[in-house]
Amino acid sequence: MFDLFSDIFTYRDNALTRIDPRVKLLIALAALVAVVSAERPILPFGFFVLCLGTVAALGVPAKLVALRLAAPFSTVAVLVVIHTFVTGTTPLFTLTLGGWTLTAKAEGFRQGLFLGNRVLGALSIVLLLGIATPAHRIFQALRGFRISKEWVEVAILMYRYIFVLLDRVGDLAAAQRLRLGYRAPRRGLASFSALAGATIVHSFEQARRTHDAMRLRGYRGTMPFGPFPALKRRERGILLLGLAGILAAYAILEWGVAG
Amino acid sequence: MRAVDVREVSFTYDDGTEALAGIHFRVEEGEFVAVLGSNGSGKTTLIQLLVGLLKTNAGRIEIGGREIGSLEAEELYQRVGLVFQNPNDQLFAATVEEDCAFGPRNLNLPEAEVQKRVTESLAAVAALPLRGRAIHHLSFGEQKRVSLAGVLAMRPAVLILDEPTAGLDPAGEAQMMQLLKKLNREEKMTVILATHSVDMLPLFANRIYVLDRGRVLQEGPSEEIFRHQEMIVRAKLRLPYVSRLMYEMKRHDGVPIDGLPLTIGEARAQLLELIPKEMILPGIEESGS
Repeated sequence: MFDLFSDIFTYRDNALTRIDPRVKLLIALAALVAVVSAERPILPFGFFVLCLGTVAALGVPAKLVALRLAAPFSTVAVLVVIHTFVTGTTPLFTLTLGGWTLTAKAEGFRQGLFLGNRVLGALSIVLLLGIATPAHRIFQALRGFRISKEWVEVAILMYRYIFVLLDRVGDLAAAQRLRLGYRAPRRGLASFSALAGATIVHSFEQARRTHDAMRLRGYRGTMPFGPFPALKRRERGILLLGLAGILAAYAILEWGVAG
Repeated sequence: MRAVDVREVSFTYDDGTEALAGIHFRVEEGEFVAVLGSNGSGKTTLIQLLVGLLKTNAGRIEIGGREIGSLEAEELYQRVGLVFQNPNDQLFAATVEEDCAFGPRNLNLPEAEVQKRVTESLAAVAALPLRGRAIHHLSFGEQKRVSLAGVLAMRPAVLILDEPTAGLDPAGEAQMMQLLKKLNREEKMTVILATHSVDMLPLFANRIYVLDRGRVLQEGPSEEIFRHQEMIVRAKLRLPYVSRLMYEMKRHDGVPIDGLPLTIGEARAQLLELIPKEMILPGIEESGS
C-alpha cells in the first residue's frame, strides 16, 4: 500500500524532475485532451508506450508501475468484457454460464479495446507526471493557475495525511492480525469494519488537532502560498516544444496531415 | 518582567472532569520552567489554556503583562508558541520549507523576511539540510525538530513544549534538550516544558512545578522539589535514576551521602570524596580501560 503512494522518484534529479511543474502540468493537460479526443487508437497507444518507456528509462521498478496500473487495467478489462458482450451484431464466440448464453461480438470487442486504449493512454500520462513531479509542486502549480485556494488546500492536507493515516491503519491492522483478527472470513469482516471505524475516528481527531496547530500559527481560513516566479526562457521553450510535438502528433495520426 | 502569570485558574471539561482547580503559575522572562506531572495531572490542559486553545472557567491568565482574552490571535501567537507532543499534529504542509513558512506568511511578512525566518529557525534546530525534504520522508526525531522550527519562525517570546522528548531515542532526547537549553540561554527565550520525564530536568530547568490532579503540589528549583520524596511518590512520579541509586545507598547501606545528588556529575563528585584516594587508579580514562 505504501508503494502505491511512494513519491521517492519525484525527488530524484533528472531532466524531467528539473522542469518547472507548471510546464509539465500544461503539457500533460494538452496530452490528455489529445488522448481523450482521439478517434483512432494509435495516438492513445502511442502515448501509452511513450510514457511507459520514459517511466522505465527513469529507473522506476516494473513492480511499482504494475501496482499503480493494476486498477486502471482492471477497469479496462471490465470495459472490454462489457462492450464485447453488450455492443455489436457480428458474433465472435458464444459462452454458456449457469444456463445463460452470452455472445461476444466483434464490434463491441473493438469498441472496448479502443476505449480501454484511451483510458490507459490517459492514465499513463498521469502516471508519468506523478513520477516526475512531487505532489506539493503540482499543488503549487495549480495555485499558480488560479485554481481555487480551498480546493488546493484540501488537496495538500489530504495528500499529507494519507501517509499519517496509512501508518496508523498499518499499525492497527498489524495489531488485529497479531490477535488473529483475520483468521476466519467472518472474524476478518468484523476486524475490517472495526479498522474502518477506527480510521474514521482517527481522521476526525487528527483534523481537530491539526486545525488547532494551524490556528496557533496564525491560520485564518486560507493557507498562504509562496510567490510564483515567471517562467524562465528555457521553460517557455520546453513548453512550446511539448505543445508543438503533441499538436504535430495529433495532426499526423488523427487528421492524416502527413498523408 | 513576568512572561506568564496564571492566577487562581480553574478548568472543568464539559463531561464534568475537573482538570485544574485554582492553580497559580508564574514564569519570569528568560526562565526555563518545567511542569512535571503524571498522565491526567492537568499539564496539557494548562498549556492549552496558556495558548488560548481553551478558555478558563475561573481565574486570570496574563501573557507578557496582558490578559490573554484581550490579545488578538496575531499578537498572542507572536508572544507564545506551542510545540505539540506528536509532530504529525503540527506538520501539515508537504515540505519542511513550506511548513516553516506557514506562520510567517500568515503574518503577511514580505517573502524575503519569510525566507530569512525559515532559514534562521531551521538553523536553530540544526535542520537546515532538511529544507527541501518532504515531511513524510523525515524520521521521527527530524519531524520533532522541524515542528519546533515551525513554531520558532513565529518568533514567540515564550516557547511551550508538550512532552518534547516523548518517543525520541536517548540521543534524540539529549539533542532536543540541548537545543532548548541553547534557545533559553543564548536566545534568551522563555521555555515552558510539560513533561513526566524527570531525568534531564535538573540539568536544564530553573524551576519545576509539580502538578497532580489539577493542583500544584510543589514549586521550586529541582534540588528542593526532589527533596520531597513523599510528594514525588504522591504525584506518581519518581526521582531521577541517579538520585534513586544514591538514596538507596544512603538508606540501605549507610553510605554517608550529603543531600541528594540529582545529576551524574554531582553523584560522581560525592562518591569520589568517599572512596579512598589509593583505590582510585590514576589515568584510567586516558588508558581507555
